[in-house]
Amino acid sequence: MFMQLLANGLIAGAIYALIAAGFSLIYKTNKFVHFAHGSVIVAGGYLLYLFYSLIGINFWISVILTIISTALVGLLLNYIVYAKLRERKASPTIMLIASVGLLILIESLVLLIFSADAKTIGFLKVAKGISLFGAIITPLQIVIIITAILLLGFLLWLMKNSSLGKAMRAVSDDKNLSEVLGINTKKIYNYSFIIGSAIAGIAGILVALEQNLEPSMGSNLMIKGFTGAIIGGVSSVPGAILGAFLLGIVENFGIWFLPSGYKDAIAFGLLFIFLLFKPDGLLGIKKGIKK
Amino acid sequence: MISAYLIHVAIIICIDLVLALSLQISIGYAGLLNFGHIAFFGIGAYTSALLTMQGVPWIIALLCAGIIPMFFAYLLSIPTNRLKGDYLALATMGFSFVIYALMLNWNSLTKGPLGIPGITKPIIFGLKISNNLSFLILALVITGLTYSILHKIVKSPFGNLLQATRDDEDAAKALGKNTFKIKTIGLMISAFFAGIAGSLYAHYITFIDPSSFAMMMIIPIVCMIIIGGLASLKGTFFATIILVIIPEILRFVGMPSSILGPARQIIYALILIIILIYQPKGFFGKVVLN
Repeated sequence: MFMQLLANGLIAGAIYALIAAGFSLIYKTNKFVHFAHGSVIVAGGYLLYLFYSLIGINFWISVILTIISTALVGLLLNYIVYAKLRERKASPTIMLIASVGLLILIESLVLLIFSADAKTIGFLKVAKGISLFGAIITPLQIVIIITAILLLGFLLWLMKNSSLGKAMRAVSDDKNLSEVLGINTKKIYNYSFIIGSAIAGIAGILVALEQNLEPSMGSNLMIKGFTGAIIGGVSSVPGAILGAFLLGIVENFGIWFLPSGYKDAIAFGLLFIFLLFKPDGLLGIKKGIKK
Repeated sequence: MISAYLIHVAIIICIDLVLALSLQISIGYAGLLNFGHIAFFGIGAYTSALLTMQGVPWIIALLCAGIIPMFFAYLLSIPTNRLKGDYLALATMGFSFVIYALMLNWNSLTKGPLGIPGITKPIIFGLKISNNLSFLILALVITGLTYSILHKIVKSPFGNLLQATRDDEDAAKALGKNTFKIKTIGLMISAFFAGIAGSLYAHYITFIDPSSFAMMMIIPIVCMIIIGGLASLKGTFFATIILVIIPEILRFVGMPSSILGPARQIIYALILIIILIYQPKGFFGKVVLN
């Protein structure tokens, strides 16, 4: 039982971590909550369904097309809405409300196009679980965990070592100083949306393979990613990843004590505990957090 | 037939108006980015429905539908009082998820996803509100009372304190004001009227289930107060009427109901985004959130 719950927690945590990492990357650079990130994930799942299940394109090409499309969706959101708001010196709260509007907009478009019926991507036939340290895990779930770890590792490396990552951190630390130093902040904002949304697309693909797709799942996924990010320390990508895994594990162990319907409630119980006692998150990074 | 439909739309406007005016107190006047307001609405609806099913007179159930959410607002204010902006938005969303999970899973109390059917129509001192026209009159009276009470509150010295805390909490603190208490009372007033709206809703529709109180259901109401303008009751009044009526037009052009739902949300979202870009204060707004 213990190992099974731990495994389930790690699998949920891997998906939350992908969401939280993309979200945190955008938050760190742009300094506002991009809530529509959740609907980009859902769009990713449905785009895979469109390319692979409806049109019938080869699976791996569909995956690549999906990732490119979600990156473009993110870029477009920034270009059409956020850049305009930024020009008008909108406050982060206004940006947050606009992003909730975008979330509803994309969710409703998905609902309009694909209808409310749950969709499944029939790529992987239901495979028999493998017993691993006393927990039963499907091959897909192993793929999810490995993909997440590889991708998150790559993202951390990118943020730390590449010149783009350095520029992003510079903009995050001090936007005006970065501009003085010749960093094109507009371009950095665009890149943060491209990378963050591409990761959201990958999260969407994994979600689509693991569960049924429903248009309304975006807000829930987003709130989980956001919660994970806050638990870990929102403006730190490694912190967000750590917090997301913690959230996945706590949520699944909670089912030991409470009916599974309370899963979301447990996640928020954890959030309230952190907000009360450690609002800076696990890694305790104050920088960039509005108090 | 047409008049029955118009009465229905007017009642919906009244219910949304009470809810939007109450949200205006927390977001517009207290500056608390409360995205969990629908939970208070839901708690009010369930309180009123469950109490009248137990034989409690409607008028007492209505009062309890206001008071119980106030109590929850007090509880919510304890962990969230230090929070602002993004964090508060997330915490209040979390609150609304917790309440939603309770409605969905506490079967012995709420009957879970099946919901509560057959909620009685209000009876005021032996006078039964059985048809929609008399319900509309009742709804108009409650909406009018809500508007005038909230108007009194925001113009009162307390209303000024509330707005001062919104504009500069540190300055209010420096003047010796207990901003914790001020914000908590603001949230409690807001929750009280949301609960009243919930009670109206429950007794009008006569059926409630958790899906009406999901977090996302607050978005149209947020649109109303942003479009009308923050810290303006008048703006909320006009925006609510317009936002309820606009999607109704779609019904007349013969749009099937499966498209109507998402189309309505798309309209709200587009109006919201355009307003935020070009008219961030809304039409009658006095403040911009920062």
